[in-house]
Amino acid sequence: MFTFLEKNPFFFTLAFVVAFAVAGVVEILPNFFKSARPIEGLKPYTILETAGRQVYINEGCYNCHSQLIRPFQAEVQRYGAYSLSGEYAYDRPFLWGSRRIGPDLHRVGDVRTTAWHEKHMLDPTSVVPGSIMPAYKHLFKKDADFNTAFAEAYTQKEVFNVPYDKPGGVQLGDMQKAKKLFLEEAKGIVDHMQDPEIKAALKEGRVKEIVALIAYLNSLGQGRIEAPKASAKGQ
Amino acid sequence: MNILKDHINLFTLVAALVILVATLSMSSSLFKAMRESKADGELYGGKDHSYDGIGEFLNNIPMGWVVSFLVFIVWGLWYIFMGYPMSSYSQIGEYNKELAAYNKNFEAKWQNLKDKDLEQMGQGIFLVQCSQCHGLEATGLNNTARNLAKWGKEAGIEEVIAQGSVGLGYQAGEMPPMGLNAEDSKAVASYVMADISALHHTKYPKLVQKGQTIFQSTCASCHGADGKGQAGMAADLTHYGTPALLQEVLDKGKKGHIGEMPSFAYRHFSPTQVKALATYIQSLQGDE
Repeated sequence: MFTFLEKNPFFFTLAFVVAFAVAGVVEILPNFFKSARPIEGLKPYTILETAGRQVYINEGCYNCHSQLIRPFQAEVQRYGAYSLSGEYAYDRPFLWGSRRIGPDLHRVGDVRTTAWHEKHMLDPTSVVPGSIMPAYKHLFKKDADFNTAFAEAYTQKEVFNVPYDKPGGVQLGDMQKAKKLFLEEAKGIVDHMQDPEIKAALKEGRVKEIVALIAYLNSLGQGRIEAPKASAKGQ
Repeated sequence: MNILKDHINLFTLVAALVILVATLSMSSSLFKAMRESKADGELYGGKDHSYDGIGEFLNNIPMGWVVSFLVFIVWGLWYIFMGYPMSSYSQIGEYNKELAAYNKNFEAKWQNLKDKDLEQMGQGIFLVQCSQCHGLEATGLNNTARNLAKWGKEAGIEEVIAQGSVGLGYQAGEMPPMGLNAEDSKAVASYVMADISALHHTKYPKLVQKGQTIFQSTCASCHGADGKGQAGMAADLTHYGTPALLQEVLDKGKKGHIGEMPSFAYRHFSPTQVKALATYIQSLQGDE
């Protein structure tokens, strides 16, 4: 039966590789699929958070900030519970980053407030002396791009089956409804901010990029998920 | 030859040289064997045992090889069924191990920390976790957050009496500004620090008597005559300036007059760490 393979080393090698690969497929892939499932209670990004996420990507925040807390004592002490695969299920693309020039942001929503972010983005050194982060004053001027954010969220829903519009979950709806939710959520953020121009812009129905970005940053952490039960009891 | 000053480079180069020499000598000996070596040894089965005139040497398995082969099989069975961690490796498992080792390592050390150590530890935690809002000096960073140099001391109580307090969600709701004059509020502060707070220490012992009178008439209606806050009605002043109050604020967060402090429950500070933080905050003797 296998004489052909025994006479042809090349095909034998090929057959061997295939047979060997089966083991990998059987053993490794199921685990991938399992761990990539959304973690229980994970909420998709709301429309404003999606817009903020795009600001995060536009500004290249991931070049200096990671979003992945490794399970080491030192990291958990500093940043909070370590990250789990299932938390990234709705992150397309993921924003793990590759280096830390600034701190990890995967749990930043737990320990910073809107007011703090506002100060920090306007003048980083005012709250973190010695910070080398540039000031992001232009975010206070530019309007957040609702249309692209809606397109993005809608794509997530239609193409990737991200659970929007589920009862009790994050609502998306059609364009008008989404816009309404977008403004409502922005109001919740702006109420905690000080800049009068941003408040004025919101009254005219315009949301500044900084508002979207803060919404996104606030969503990173407990906001998206209940704290893992077996999370590190930092000692 | 600057490159050789680094001993790692030196080792590497020496090792490379050794490998090169070994390779050359080995291959030259093999080439030599190809040219010169003759097949010799005992023939298997004598002259009759040959195929087309080609004989076969006796090729007994070396004993050492047999033994190691069998030992390896036994070891393999042991490894597959017993030695290999059947729960399989995971980063999380390693983390838990690391944590256990870490805790064991520090447990003894933490049993009897001196105040100086607690202060240093507290400062370390403070700089990483709190300084972004409370400032490196803990003075509140131009009113971004509470000035901790006053908090937990007489000055902190005076501040609360003057400005009121809100944000920890007691049943009594917001504490309004009490409108005492500076002298009286100092007296109340010294009384709370000396007799009610578990710290039992005040900078102005002379005012305690006076403070007691004012406290009973002004503050006791919410905080109770014993200052324990009447079971959640108002703040439990026996905790004032102690790790217990700090723990409460860290767990609940606080939405006060200055702004919002998020809950730090998620950071899971251990009691030792909270104690360290409290010690550090107490060590800050702010501007009176």
